[in-house]
Amino acid sequence: MHKTTKRIPLILAGMLAATAAWAEKTASGSVIKDPAAGWDHLWREVIIDITIIGILFALMTAYFIWKYRRRPGNEVGNGPKLSAAAAVAWVVIPTFVFLSDDLYVAANGWQLWNNYREVPADRLEIQLETGMYSFDYTYPNGVRTQNELKVPAGKPVLLRMTSRDTLHNHFIPDFRVKEDSMPGRVTYLWFLPKEVGKEHVVTCASYCGVMHSYMASKIVVLAPEEFRAWYDQEGSKQGGSIKTVAENKAATASKS
Amino acid sequence: MNLKEWIFTTDHKRVGVLYLIGSIAAFAVAGILALLMRAELSTVGPTITANPTNYNVWLYGHGAMMILGFQIPALTGFFANYCIPLMIGAKDVAFPRVNALSVWLFYVGIILALLTFVMPDPPDVMWTGYPPYSTITTGNTAMYTFTVLILGFASIIGGVNFLTTVAYMRAPGLTWNKLNIFVWCTLGAFVLQLIFVPVLGTAVTLISLDKYLGTHFFDPTQGGDVLTYQNLFWFYSHPAVYVIFLPFIGVIYEIVATFSRNRVFNYKMVVYGGVFGVVALSGEVWVHHLYVSGMADWLRIGQMITTLMISVPVGLLVIGLVGTLYKGSISFETPMLYALGVLFLFLIGGLTGIPLAVTSLTVHLARTYYVVGHFHYVMAVAGTFAIFAGVYYWFPKVTGRMYNEFWGKVGFWITFIGTNLVFWTMMDIGVKGMPRRYYDYSHFSQFEGAHQLMTLGAVILGVGFVIAVLNWIIGAARGPKAPDNPWNSNSLEWSTVSPPPHGNWPVPPSVGADWYPYGAAKK
Amino acid sequence: MAHHEGAHGVADGHAHWDTSVWPFVISFGILALVIAFSLHFVYHQDFASVLTLGLGLIMIVSGVAGWTSEAMGKGDGMSYSAMGWFILAEAMIFVAMFVTYWYLRLNTDVWPPAGSVDLPKAMPLMMTFVLVSSSLTIHYAEHLLHQGNRGGYVNWLMATIVLGFCFLGMSAYEWSHLMHEGFNIGTNLLGTVFFSITGLHGSHVVVGLAIFLAGLVSALRGNVDEGFARTAGLYWHFVDIIWFFVVSQVYYW
Ligand code: HEA
Ligand code: HEA
Ligand code: CUA
Ligand SMILES: [Cu+2]
Repeated sequence: MHKTTKRIPLILAGMLAATAAWAEKTASGSVIKDPAAGWDHLWREVIIDITIIGILFALMTAYFIWKYRRRPGNEVGNGPKLSAAAAVAWVVIPTFVFLSDDLYVAANGWQLWNNYREVPADRLEIQLETGMYSFDYTYPNGVRTQNELKVPAGKPVLLRMTSRDTLHNHFIPDFRVKEDSMPGRVTYLWFLPKEVGKEHVVTCASYCGVMHSYMASKIVVLAPEEFRAWYDQEGSKQGGSIKTVAENKAATASKS
Repeated sequence: MNLKEWIFTTDHKRVGVLYLIGSIAAFAVAGILALLMRAELSTVGPTITANPTNYNVWLYGHGAMMILGFQIPALTGFFANYCIPLMIGAKDVAFPRVNALSVWLFYVGIILALLTFVMPDPPDVMWTGYPPYSTITTGNTAMYTFTVLILGFASIIGGVNFLTTVAYMRAPGLTWNKLNIFVWCTLGAFVLQLIFVPVLGTAVTLISLDKYLGTHFFDPTQGGDVLTYQNLFWFYSHPAVYVIFLPFIGVIYEIVATFSRNRVFNYKMVVYGGVFGVVALSGEVWVHHLYVSGMADWLRIGQMITTLMISVPVGLLVIGLVGTLYKGSISFETPMLYALGVLFLFLIGGLTGIPLAVTSLTVHLARTYYVVGHFHYVMAVAGTFAIFAGVYYWFPKVTGRMYNEFWGKVGFWITFIGTNLVFWTMMDIGVKGMPRRYYDYSHFSQFEGAHQLMTLGAVILGVGFVIAVLNWIIGAARGPKAPDNPWNSNSLEWSTVSPPPHGNWPVPPSVGADWYPYGAAKK
Repeated sequence: MAHHEGAHGVADGHAHWDTSVWPFVISFGILALVIAFSLHFVYHQDFASVLTLGLGLIMIVSGVAGWTSEAMGKGDGMSYSAMGWFILAEAMIFVAMFVTYWYLRLNTDVWPPAGSVDLPKAMPLMMTFVLVSSSLTIHYAEHLLHQGNRGGYVNWLMATIVLGFCFLGMSAYEWSHLMHEGFNIGTNLLGTVFFSITGLHGSHVVVGLAIFLAGLVSALRGNVDEGFARTAGLYWHFVDIIWFFVVSQVYYW
């Protein structure tokens, strides 16, 4: 699949060379760029931005409403008839101002997006198959768990996801990340667990059927050595040879 | 009153009134469904029904009926039908029978939507109808398909009709640059409908083909692709939000200009920058609904920028509105109260769309109550307020009678408080992670209090709406007689008697070179 | 701009309001069709389904007949440009279909997918020939009408209708032939695409023919409307042009 769609981005990548190069730069380097922290930062910025815009417009409106309320002596409106130059200026200047704000937000958003998509190379890679109504994880050594994912603190975790029936979505509010899973495609997301001992709620965020709201999972963050012990023990218990549908598909699939 | 002359009418005003009655009925039903949902969500776990399917069916009915049965028909059915011929000085629309066909198809669509509550296995596919669920559910997806198809077709023939009407039937002397802003906005909406509804029609048809005739469009085991549907669906359904937005902001322009007794600020900026800009950009932004669907990156960056850029033409439209207040002579009758409400609340709704447009922020926000809060502010609050404003505004023209000013204001303030309670809270819990389309939020039980607050708010705002609708019903039945031009407006629709006779004017009007539709009428 | 003085005289409640029952009849006919679909495909009530289907068809046919006889010859000459807008909408349906098709096809490794049969190559050529001829005949018919030759118009209109039915016949033959070989809409992605796109186009041929027949019936009664003729012709040309896309994209690519 995706024979052509793989080529299109290549062409476009050429056109967007500047963006791409810049994205490259931000993604390389050894520090892990945790998107969750980046999200909180960008969110605050954008909220401040739109609050200012909103308050400016609201104050202006409120002032006009009060100032130009109908009173004796003010029975008819007397709005300005703009000269041609003023009329054009009233298009060009706001456009310029709004557009620069938009592009500023877009640039920051795109940078954060690249942090979401560039997965650090040193990672724990897990296959996830979703179905009505469970999350089925498979670790690299074949260990399988359902509706619970144990991860070591400090190591990025990558989920490669697919679905055996309808659309589902692996949403981890604490890590500010979600992505759909669906039959026929492989999608991915990653996150950086930090706090040892913490449990993070995972829910299904795509309407998938009657029991959609009951489809949930959790992420349990263990200390690295604790995780190792659990991982090896489960590995020998479950036997390392189980291959899942998800794994087979992932082997051939591409990320789009 | 002759019932036959109403049901079989081809007159644009009566067709318009039929549209209004149907869409308010749809609003009432969908609103009651919302109250049922709110009741269900008032506690963690099952509250008023133990079967999640019931909730899902309510939610399906609520979303589909509010958008397709209430707002689009009220705006492009009632207002367009009633006002456009009157505003351009025409006797009727170009094709009166086609107009009648469109309103009755609309009623058929409403009937189909209502059948949801009596038929076995009603549709439970949400208003988006995503496959694969919609093709494997036991629910009646065909009903979803046909509801959309029929309402879509009704609106396409309506669009053809109005574009022709405005192109050929304007009064002598009424040049394009003298059209009311509302006419421009509605034309923009109809162009969008003509271009995009067919794509939605195709999308929903393909689901039924897949489900009932065994095709494989969305079936990956045979080379189909589930994301194709989502692309087709949003390729329409994003422009659809501007099909709602444009006419409603047009209504607000009429009202703000009239009650400020002022000229529209920078008319050409509003039309050629605002309306044209929205129409031009609206087709290139649909991917912002697919940010967490596994969409390709190359589509995403471009459409993130175009989505953000929509704030430019919309911003020009807002500037035009605020500017129209400048040096006005503003009075605060009920229509104006609602209109000012729209101006403030649309700011909240529109600006909360900005974080959603940013693909990386949406990774957290998508499919949460934050989105639900955003679109209720723009549609359910701004859109509904605009419709209510417009109905109040043209009420004397339509019925020849006056509504009750006191109850009109009371209704407004009650809904104003209620909406903010409900929809602000939604955005708040959304940011904290509450996913949408949840029958039960047992693993988010910390939000129980917030949900109860929203349920309370929903009851409050419902009371406000009921007061408004009762006010209309009572006013239409026995309100005091209204003068022909109670708001002292210059616009053509006020120059005929209230209610206008068949044919609208004894002698069709013509306008002179210095005529301008806005500003206080010269005595 | 005050026109209100003097207008009150006509506003008495007894003024005549135009009415037409046919839009109502057609709409509810369509409702019956929709219910018939659900009865058959969802609830498997075949008898009830056939009954509703019959009822719906009767309502729609009589609605269209009533509408045409009521309105024919009273057009204001605006229908031609309105048809232009309508065709824009129609074209978008095909755009959506073709984009879906291209997308699915370009993302499939093997095309045609397993289980496909060879699509006929000669038949589509003949069909193209027939459809193009019909576009020419209708054009000539309009030309004659414009010169005031009503008899000639009716004759060439009938020729167009015959050609249209030939086209449908060939299409039906081809479908049944393919289905006989066990190739149908559910076989694989090619079947899905082939039958749905040719079916979609065929349904437009049916609509075009229905418009012509409605025009023919009233023309035989001596009621010829040039605006109607041009509008119907425009639609038919559109159906013809779409066919080129169908042939080139579905049969020969
Ligand atoms: C009338 C309806 C309406 C309107 C007008 C809008 C307007 C906008 N919407 Fe909204 N939207 C919906 C109805 C609407 N939306 C619906 C129904 C959904 C959900 C559907 C579903 O999933 O069920 C949705 C969902 C939705 C999403 C997807 C969320 C998700 O599911 O993940 C996004 C993402 O980009 C988005 C963005 C926007 C933006 C950027 C605008 C912009 O047009 C807003 C522009 C306005 C302003 C910005 C304010 C005024 C401007 C100024 C004061 C100028 C200065 C401002 C700046 C420089 C920023 N909307
Ligand atoms: C225009 C659109 C519109 C409007 C007006 C509304 C109005 C309301 N909506 Fe709706 N809503 C949607 C469009 C709209 N909504 C959509 C598109 C969805 C998404 C669907 C999906 O996910 O697929 C949604 C989803 C949605 C949810 C999310 C559920 C979930 O995700 O699980 C909720 C939850 O509270 C909700 C609540 C409400 C409430 C309380 C109102 C209130 O404002 C309603 C108030 C109205 C009344 C209470 C009726 C009043 C009664 C009358 C006027 C009758 C009077 C008559 C006489 C007196 C004779 N809505
Ligand atoms: Cu799985 Cu929702
Ligand atoms: Cu959108």
